[in-house]
Amino acid sequence: MFGNTQIGTLLHEEHVRTIQALQSLEEYLLKQTSKRVPDVTNEKVRELLEHLLSDVAAEVERHFGFEENFLFPVLTGRGEGGIAAFLTEEHGTILPLAQELAETARTALNGNGFTVEDWKEFHHRGVELCEREIFHIQKEEMGLLAAISMFVDPAADADLAAKYREQSQAA
Amino acid sequence: MMFGDFMMGARSRLLPMSIPLRFFGAAVLFHIAAWGLLLGAAGDAPGFMGGLGHLLASLHFVTLGVLAMTAMGAAFQLLPVATKRPVRSEAACKAAFWLMVPGLLALGHGMGRGDGLVLAVGGLLVAAALTLFGLLVVDNLRRVKDMRVITDQAWIAMAGLLTLLVLAGLLVADYALGGFLGNHQGLALAHGVVAAYGFMGMMVMAFSFVLIPMFCLSPPPDVKNGQRAGWLAGAAVLLAAVGLALSLTPLVVLGGLLGLAASGLHLRVMFKVLKSRMRKQLGDSFILVRLAWGLMPLSILVGLAAAFGVAPDRTGPLFGFLLVFGWLLTFLLGVLQRILPFLASMHSVRPGVKPALVSALTADRPLRLHMITHIAALTLVSAGLAGQWVWLVRLGAACGLVAAVSFALSVAYLVNSLRKHLNNQMQHVEK
Repeated sequence: MFGNTQIGTLLHEEHVRTIQALQSLEEYLLKQTSKRVPDVTNEKVRELLEHLLSDVAAEVERHFGFEENFLFPVLTGRGEGGIAAFLTEEHGTILPLAQELAETARTALNGNGFTVEDWKEFHHRGVELCEREIFHIQKEEMGLLAAISMFVDPAADADLAAKYREQSQAA
Repeated sequence: MMFGDFMMGARSRLLPMSIPLRFFGAAVLFHIAAWGLLLGAAGDAPGFMGGLGHLLASLHFVTLGVLAMTAMGAAFQLLPVATKRPVRSEAACKAAFWLMVPGLLALGHGMGRGDGLVLAVGGLLVAAALTLFGLLVVDNLRRVKDMRVITDQAWIAMAGLLTLLVLAGLLVADYALGGFLGNHQGLALAHGVVAAYGFMGMMVMAFSFVLIPMFCLSPPPDVKNGQRAGWLAGAAVLLAAVGLALSLTPLVVLGGLLGLAASGLHLRVMFKVLKSRMRKQLGDSFILVRLAWGLMPLSILVGLAAAFGVAPDRTGPLFGFLLVFGWLLTFLLGVLQRILPFLASMHSVRPGVKPALVSALTADRPLRLHMITHIAALTLVSAGLAGQWVWLVRLGAACGLVAAVSFALSVAYLVNSLRKHLNNQMQHVEK
């Protein structure tokens, strides 16, 4: 599915990490429920929110940015603009949601935590992020990575992989 | 490439939602009718060895009304996406539906009331619908050169469809014309085996190769073993059907043993898919899928017991029930409750419109109730057939009826939620 291109392998590895993080977040949110406001002074809660939201939001932004700026133009150039447009449309829903949640988490961690209402909203939006992003990764794993292996030639593959590594190191 | 191709082409090759939805909607209604008829005819179920009546109508409402109807909707929707070849004619898909529904109602009435003429008219309409379906699928498969594991199994399923139609024609003609077949019961059993394992079973195996990895987020399944399982299963059905039609028990037994090997191989491939999945939580639907996987070899084992003459008045009806209501129906309901919100969410992607969340389209409580009552129904009816206790069969059928109504409620919820979502989003875009 992805094993025959460098860039496919790199994107897949990032998907695996993101899915693991999102599944941990989803598990925590479902266990905590929208009614029980978490104690943000608790070390474990702080760690989870800091790691999951700051890192996930940043990774999502970088991942989407790479796809839209470097990968999708290559696919569009090979006549596969449909999948690029479809995934870009979804990015437009997921990224603002991830950024909004990261911001809310940061405010709660730096201030007095969540109010009952804030937590309810955060919980609701957090579950939504997990679902949308996992569904999105599902589509990328099953569709985008196959498109890469079919339409990206070895030279473009090497070039994309180099850009991806460069971007990851810069982050 | 096939799994990637499936999602890659999914949006561009999806048919209008109304086409698959009409088949799925009809299947949901026939599901209720099937359990309702079984409830009404529960007294005839223990020791049932075939023959006209409401029990036979109930069986056909599941096989044709639920299983074949869903297979038609799913094939029209998913096969062109998986094979990257569009369906030849949307009008033909609609025509197949409008032949199937009245045909099946007439067939059920004819079987229930023992009316040979109505049975023949219904049978002709259903045969026409299935022939049209078969031609559309064959037309699609003919244009595919790769994806051998799916196309092999789909080709075997089409051969099964043709055979079951020929056998069904003979059986209906035998009823309508007053009995010219020497071995009506043997042919009826062969027809049942070809329909359940040869047609529906092969469709289930083919679609499993696309759908199960997609739901689990797994790497592609083992194609070689998948192909072997398909060919073994095809050979098993052929041997068992010939054995039943000619009353040659050794052939039936050989077919059963090959069938066990095929199911073992298929399940090995599927469990490998589950083991390598990225998505940890698979939800209630996979409880049903796993149960169905267990019932697949169990149905063959009970069938073998019947073939060996072990209490055939108990193992015979139990075999039919575990095969149709157990393996096939349970698997289909498990998959359908995942695929409906998935497809609805895919259809909700429009420029400027937020796609609907799968969870917002899923009615958890009715589906949980469905799962519990469906499993209770399988357990109680199986126990009732094994012990020849009518009251237990009746209680089980009542549970099945509750399950079917709960499932229908979940589908109604999905349709309503999707409509609301699209209306709200479109209003938002217009503002």
